[in-house]
Amino acid sequence: MKTSLTKGLRSGIVFGIVFIFLMLIGFINVGADMVGDISSASAASGAGGRLPVGDLLIVIAVFGVFCGIAARSKSEEVQWWSALLGGLTAGITAGLLMGVAIWLVGSLSLDGVDFRTYLPSLNPASIQYLTFYSYPQSAGLTYLMYMAIFSVAGAALAWLLSFRDWLAKSWNSCKTGLGGWFEKKDVSRIFSNQWLMIVVFLAAGILLYFLPLAWGSYWNYIMGTVAIYILLGLGLNIIVGYSGQLVLGYVAFFATGAYTFALLTAPTPHGIEMNLWLAVGLSILVSTLTGLLLGLPILNLRGDYLAIVTLGFGEIVRILIRSDLLTSLTNGPKGVTSVGQPNLFGSPFSDVNFMHLLMLLVLIGLFIAKRLKDSNTGRAWIAIREDQTVAQATGINTFKHKILALLLGAAFAGLAGALFASRNQFTGPEDFTLMVSVNVLCIVIVGGMGSLPGVVLGAFVLKGIPELLREMADYRLLVFGALLVVMMIVRPEGLWPARRVRFKRSHADPDRQDAVEVEV
Amino acid sequence: MIAAVQASQVTKCFGGLTAVNTVDLIVPKGSISSIIGPNGAGKTTLFNCVSGFYVPDSGEIQFFGQPISGLATHQISKCGIARTYQNIRLFKEMTAVENVLVGQHHRMRSTWIEAIFHTPRYYQEEQKALEKALELLDFVGLSGLEDTPAYNLPYGAQRRLEIARALASDPALLLLDEPTAGMNPQETDEMTAFIKNLRDTREITILLIEHDMRVVMDISDQITVLDYGMKIAEGKPAEIQSNQRVIEAYLGPGAAALSEKFRRKKTLYAYS
Repeated sequence: MKTSLTKGLRSGIVFGIVFIFLMLIGFINVGADMVGDISSASAASGAGGRLPVGDLLIVIAVFGVFCGIAARSKSEEVQWWSALLGGLTAGITAGLLMGVAIWLVGSLSLDGVDFRTYLPSLNPASIQYLTFYSYPQSAGLTYLMYMAIFSVAGAALAWLLSFRDWLAKSWNSCKTGLGGWFEKKDVSRIFSNQWLMIVVFLAAGILLYFLPLAWGSYWNYIMGTVAIYILLGLGLNIIVGYSGQLVLGYVAFFATGAYTFALLTAPTPHGIEMNLWLAVGLSILVSTLTGLLLGLPILNLRGDYLAIVTLGFGEIVRILIRSDLLTSLTNGPKGVTSVGQPNLFGSPFSDVNFMHLLMLLVLIGLFIAKRLKDSNTGRAWIAIREDQTVAQATGINTFKHKILALLLGAAFAGLAGALFASRNQFTGPEDFTLMVSVNVLCIVIVGGMGSLPGVVLGAFVLKGIPELLREMADYRLLVFGALLVVMMIVRPEGLWPARRVRFKRSHADPDRQDAVEVEV
Repeated sequence: MIAAVQASQVTKCFGGLTAVNTVDLIVPKGSISSIIGPNGAGKTTLFNCVSGFYVPDSGEIQFFGQPISGLATHQISKCGIARTYQNIRLFKEMTAVENVLVGQHHRMRSTWIEAIFHTPRYYQEEQKALEKALELLDFVGLSGLEDTPAYNLPYGAQRRLEIARALASDPALLLLDEPTAGMNPQETDEMTAFIKNLRDTREITILLIEHDMRVVMDISDQITVLDYGMKIAEGKPAEIQSNQRVIEAYLGPGAAALSEKFRRKKTLYAYS
């Protein structure tokens, strides 16, 4: 019981403080607005220009429920009354903190104190909304009451859900009741059925073909960015995820690819206007050579030292591009405009065509990365990542393999850069800041180091979600940061951690499989 | 007698400390040789010189007549020297079978381009490597654990997996650094039998560092004793057991006299 109380107290304090913080920066109002947006179909907007108070109450209720859930103690079996007591403690603690804060803010605001000097979001209107357009004291009491009730509800919910065994048991009986439909064997049989897989792939292909047609150009632009970042992620995944070299200047290869493509196809400053597909090939080649240039001197460095040196390299490339020295070559800070666009039977590529091209290249990239990962080379990379000294003593030429990883990664970046420049029809030095490297590295880490589905998922989460969050305007990055923190706590290995390949006995030696089955 | 390893006057210093001091070592082909000595005697340093982790400051190491000191470790590995480590160093995130596949790395010829296109040569090579890896896992007694990540294996299995990885490169010489460290008596006996079996069935020369005297005296054909980086004794187990300098090194100068007295006393009792 004592642990329930302390747990409740702790959870209450944490949630109370978080709520006050969010309130002070004005996020609670934004949250209520969003609830309002969702439920606006049914609820008419409040009378007399007032915002509907119910939305705010829903936000508080959600807070209370989570506060109660967080108050449960994981380690031991808890009696129901003890759990509810913990929830009540949490609710009252959080409610007290919140109530006092609201009371203070509300009455100070009524006395004419202007909070906007320090807290721009806390204007009188929103404070009135937070106090339910009534007296601050009664508003504070409402907060306390609401938190107490919903925290107990949350605790009850958590207590019920802790009956996992019971749930699992009933789920099992459900499964047998359904005639073993969900038995693992049947699922794997479906996946091992070639014809079925062909049908699935065809369906996925048709879906991928028609999606860009249905999306419209805005979504094509966003998804195009995501696709380019998937390509970048695949490349960096080879360098960081497989061979374990922390390269922070990845943007350098991206920039080289983009600029090579732009300078070879744009009418200014050189007027070469080369064939597009040849230019793409050349951008990949130049990026790869840049990788070689960087790699040869520094690949004997490890860990932090490598990270610092490559970080510098990324910045050097950007600064060189915009420098006076190279203005005649790169057009300096102005960037290169009207970069060449691909043609399809004489007519220029539409956004849909471009999206199709990107999808195709992403699929090819995934295929290549997968094949490499499962090969002898891929194993050598992972061995180097795990323990470089031992890998070398086991007979792996570590230098050769590290260079190879860097070159392949740079090639992916070169391709992505060429596509990036061509799609935007423009490329300038400020497209290639350090943030690009950091973003790509985040994609690899958030997705799960060395995992291919992880890269795809990571690119969607890191490049797609910020777009979806545009609704929240200023709070976009705050929410995004919070999501990242939560994710790193909940899934420290990444969204989709890499699984090592499973070798089946039967794969190598059919006789042995029989022997095992006889034993069983 | 053909010498698998012939080290002459090998010296390795770290700053002011001479870890290995003008040591001569000859490991006959097909033998099991041991290096023993108190902690800090330079055993592992000598090992590291042979496997190429360190380049000796002076002296030369030959492997079947071919000088190897100064070569990179992966080249030495290609020559046919494989090793295990005192503190187990597996590729932890990889499965057991993958660890063994990495051991076969330098025998595989197909390039990464062939891997992308799955050429027949690549496919056959990969199949053959997999079969060999599974066979090796069977040999060291790890069948059934192929797909287990190395970090999930029990301690004894990790030691055996390390040996399997070393064997995967078809070495002519296997260096074992304290193969029975941290094992209970039964596991130690198993490991001892396993090492003997290894030499007999695979015709591999084995050089090992070991602290467990029971093991050393049981399986060694030849023992080299190091103390403060110097070789103080060399010979068959029985010779080493009665060597005065070895007893001094292990038990201190007084102990040698004591043991002499004890031996005489025992003889006296035997006569009386």
